[in-house]
Amino acid sequence: MAKESTTIDVGEPSTVTKSSSHVAVDEKKKGFVAAAAGGGYKRGLTIFDFLLRLAAIGITIGASSVMFTAEETLPFFTQFLQFQAGYDDFPTFQFFVISIAIVASYLVLSLPFSIVSIVRPLAVVPRLILLISDTVVLTLTTAAAAAAAAIVYLAHNGNANTNWLPICQQFGDFCQATSTAVVAASISVVFFVLLIVISAIALKRH
Amino acid sequence: MKNESTVIDVPAESSSAMKGSAPLIGVARDHTTNGSGGYKRGLSIFDFLLRLAAIIAASVAAGTMFTSDETLPFFTQFLQFEAGYDDLPTFQFFVIAMSMISGYLLLSLPFSVVTIVRPLATAPRLLLLVLDTAAMAFNMAAASSAAAIGYLAHNGNQNTNWLPICQQFGDFCQKTSGAVVSSFVSVVFFIMLVVLSGVALKRH
Repeated sequence: MAKESTTIDVGEPSTVTKSSSHVAVDEKKKGFVAAAAGGGYKRGLTIFDFLLRLAAIGITIGASSVMFTAEETLPFFTQFLQFQAGYDDFPTFQFFVISIAIVASYLVLSLPFSIVSIVRPLAVVPRLILLISDTVVLTLTTAAAAAAAAIVYLAHNGNANTNWLPICQQFGDFCQATSTAVVAASISVVFFVLLIVISAIALKRH
Repeated sequence: MKNESTVIDVPAESSSAMKGSAPLIGVARDHTTNGSGGYKRGLSIFDFLLRLAAIIAASVAAGTMFTSDETLPFFTQFLQFEAGYDDLPTFQFFVIAMSMISGYLLLSLPFSVVTIVRPLATAPRLLLLVLDTAAMAFNMAAASSAAAIGYLAHNGNQNTNWLPICQQFGDFCQKTSGAVVSSFVSVVFFIMLVVLSGVALKRH
């Protein structure tokens, strides 16, 4: 068995003391960059998620308050219809106001989770929590918006077959306010779908 | 400048027997039975079964609403003596929406099968999650608006003088209420499908 040997020349250590802290900072930087490279686009997505949540908070609070203040009192009265209309005349609108308010407060409570996902873009648990709770809240928002939309449609058009008269012909302002609230809630539904898709994309493996 | 040098002895490998018995580096791992893919495959199978159940729920809802006609043996001065789903535009929307949901679920079955066969692929799962979210919102809209009209039909509204028609059309109301309940069951299935896809997507 022939022995092979080799000689390696190691240069002398420099007299200038290597700054070990400099090396440590470099390694720290490397580690941070490595984490950010994997979490770079995820962090961007989460920042967009945070901004969407802020916009959704504004819209849901707007929808709930517009519906809440949608009262109208007519200066005259007719034989069959009341001369006052408010959101509490319709159980569906009551459901709308309460559930959209719940959705708005959920969004405010979910902001910390979103911030945590920005700070730790590779963490899975906050995002999964956000995805699951966003799905449930999307369901609630859609329910409220769709039920109110059905009633608003009835108020505008009535139904000849069931002899339900369209009340919008008397209560124009009330109908306008409720329609605005329904439209705002539908926009917030779109925001929620976007939030869920963002969470899903940010969750997936590379 | 002082040079430091060291000597390293490298023993020569001349034995052919040693070379021959070198183990393979990197055993080919069967991705289909990978440890991390195991539970994901289970989730995908559960997803497939949920889809089948949701198809049944959605088609039952559409069919029940579609066949909810009722004709009364008498007639009154104000109300029609016939009631069907096409008398109310919201119920028309319900039937169309639930049929579309059933069709979408049928078309999504192949994607679900793909996620069973390849449990580690993320693209089919992400596609299913996005489409399921949209379909869930659509389903919930149909169910909820039909529920609002159904509530009106049962209770009426005194303030707007909308009379409850269920007192005359009992069978019609019963069938439409059943259809709405079935549609809400389908929504619950959709929620579970979305959460499943989200959990199966996450990294380890």
